[in-house]
Amino acid sequence: MFFHMILERNMHLHPRHFGRDLRDKLITKLMKDVEGTCNGRHGFIVAITGIESVDKGLVLDGSGYATFPVKYQCVVFRPFKGEIVEAVVSMVNKMGFFAEAGPVQIFISNHLIPDDMELQLGDMPNYSTSDGSVKIQKDCEVRLKIIGTRVDATEIFCIGTIKDDFLGVISDSGQTS
Amino acid sequence: MGSHEALSVEPFKRLVKLAARAFYDDITTKGDKQPKTGRSDNRGIAVVVLDALTRRQWVREEDLAKDLKLHSKQLRRTLRFFEEEKLVTRDHRKETAKGAKIYSAAVAATGDGQPGGREGDEKLKMHTHSYCCLDYAQIYDVVRYRLHRMKKMLKDELESKNTVQEYICPNCSKRYTALDALRLISPHDEYFHCESCDGILVAEADKLAAQELGDGDDSARKRRQEKLKDMLQNMEEQLKPLIDQLGRVKDLTVPEFGSLQAWELQNAAGRAANGDHGNDPSKSSQGLGFGGTPMPYVGETKVEVALSGIDGKGENIKSENGNAPSKVLPPWMIRQGMELSDEQRGETKQEAKMAGSSIALESSDDKNTTDEKDDVKNIQDEYVKAYYAALLERQREQEAHDDSQQQMSNASTSNGVAMPTERQVGMKSKLADEYEGDDVEWDEEPPAGNTAKNFKVHDLNVEAEASDEEEDDIDWEEG
Repeated sequence: MFFHMILERNMHLHPRHFGRDLRDKLITKLMKDVEGTCNGRHGFIVAITGIESVDKGLVLDGSGYATFPVKYQCVVFRPFKGEIVEAVVSMVNKMGFFAEAGPVQIFISNHLIPDDMELQLGDMPNYSTSDGSVKIQKDCEVRLKIIGTRVDATEIFCIGTIKDDFLGVISDSGQTS
Repeated sequence: MGSHEALSVEPFKRLVKLAARAFYDDITTKGDKQPKTGRSDNRGIAVVVLDALTRRQWVREEDLAKDLKLHSKQLRRTLRFFEEEKLVTRDHRKETAKGAKIYSAAVAATGDGQPGGREGDEKLKMHTHSYCCLDYAQIYDVVRYRLHRMKKMLKDELESKNTVQEYICPNCSKRYTALDALRLISPHDEYFHCESCDGILVAEADKLAAQELGDGDDSARKRRQEKLKDMLQNMEEQLKPLIDQLGRVKDLTVPEFGSLQAWELQNAAGRAANGDHGNDPSKSSQGLGFGGTPMPYVGETKVEVALSGIDGKGENIKSENGNAPSKVLPPWMIRQGMELSDEQRGETKQEAKMAGSSIALESSDDKNTTDEKDDVKNIQDEYVKAYYAALLERQREQEAHDDSQQQMSNASTSNGVAMPTERQVGMKSKLADEYEGDDVEWDEEPPAGNTAKNFKVHDLNVEAEASDEEEDDIDWEEG
């Protein structure tokens, strides 16, 4: 799920940037540092939308760096257990298949794939029904339900299922049609 | 209150019995490694123990083992198992050995009241006594939870709900969940590899359904579904009486016995209050949870202490009293008005216990002026006076004819005759109390040894009798 929230961070700035463009340099640095990272508590920080405030800087003893506490608004993405997301299949193998919903990777084990879908090996391994009407292979979109998340300090993993109602393939991959 | 309690306890007892037979009838106390021969197989012992506990409240584990004719180690293992299952509560208390307990009680009864006096006595050892009691409130919850979990497990398997898959490494049998497996995917082949031994992880099959063929087989899956459905159905059928009982019980108040201390206090006070009214044993056992703890003296000492207001000391003494076996007190220790047990006098249990309790009654009266006790005592005294008067006359007649030997035998018979009547007077409850205490519930008949004991002649007893008969005392002491 996406959230728009205000986060805070302490930015260290090298003295060579002190000058007229200090604030701009600070914001650039912030964007570079933060966008695309994952915070265990908040999730993936997708994009910074604005700067809320930049407080007074403090010069550190010993080194010449200055610390600025910056408050900024950003869009974050955090997956939750029980959430329905749409994802793109990235890999199919014997244990199940992997799909990506934006920055988060989701694993669907074969135990949670409907019983009528079998693994077909080949150069494009896929799961498909016996009559071939439904096929899950690389780059196709599936709707899945997240049944578990694992949050490390800098990483979030999920496992999902397509065994419930209204879940499964949305559209085939563009390659096979 | 006794009968009301009995009414609400019955359904709970039935619940416990049903649950025991449903879930614990194949528990064996033998470890897996030990050989299970036909002779040493003790499955079903759990049911026996639980049934026995429904008939008691707080009970000492040694006594329970004796009643059930079980090895105390086996019983303890079973009780430990039940404690883990949250069916019983246990309490372990350090208490001095029995002899020391009665001794301290006697000491306290005569008014020394210095618990510090025991420090010098090396015979006092602290043993840990274990008590156990059924915890009905928890039992109700535990049984419901168990049923809920069973149903949930079957239903989940049936619908193949969203369970997190588990993976096992066949080499080092390390377990992983699917969440862990995500980071264990190997770049080369398509499998998950173990962290430590790099073996290929195997998915853990469904827990309940049979691990037959692979998931790819349709018929296997269908068979699994069938099997699960059957299991669910059987479960519902077989557990129906238990579920019904749960329904009946859910609106009733749960019988609460409280902690061991609280229960003892309650019962001791209640017993003393009831005992003097010649309560019949059945009522006292029902209402006061007698059967658990045979503490014949606690009643007496509790009463005297509680009424005189020395609560702390009373509890101290009470906790020390428990069920210590009495020591034989040497004659020079015996003073008038001393609460003595049979063993202390070196005599048979029943006779002297009566004497003991009668003395206790007297001594307690010396200290307190409870109306109840006085009334009963007065009646007893009058009866005794009249009786002894008649007795003396008869004896004088006989003395005129016989020699000393016959006198002795008469004394003994008079003693014997005196016994039952004395008992009738109001001692019956006390005696019954003590019998109850000894028997721990209705499992065994009160020893019918009374009659046999009546005719034993013990020097001490006879001498005391002879001496006291001459005195026209109000002493309740067995003349």
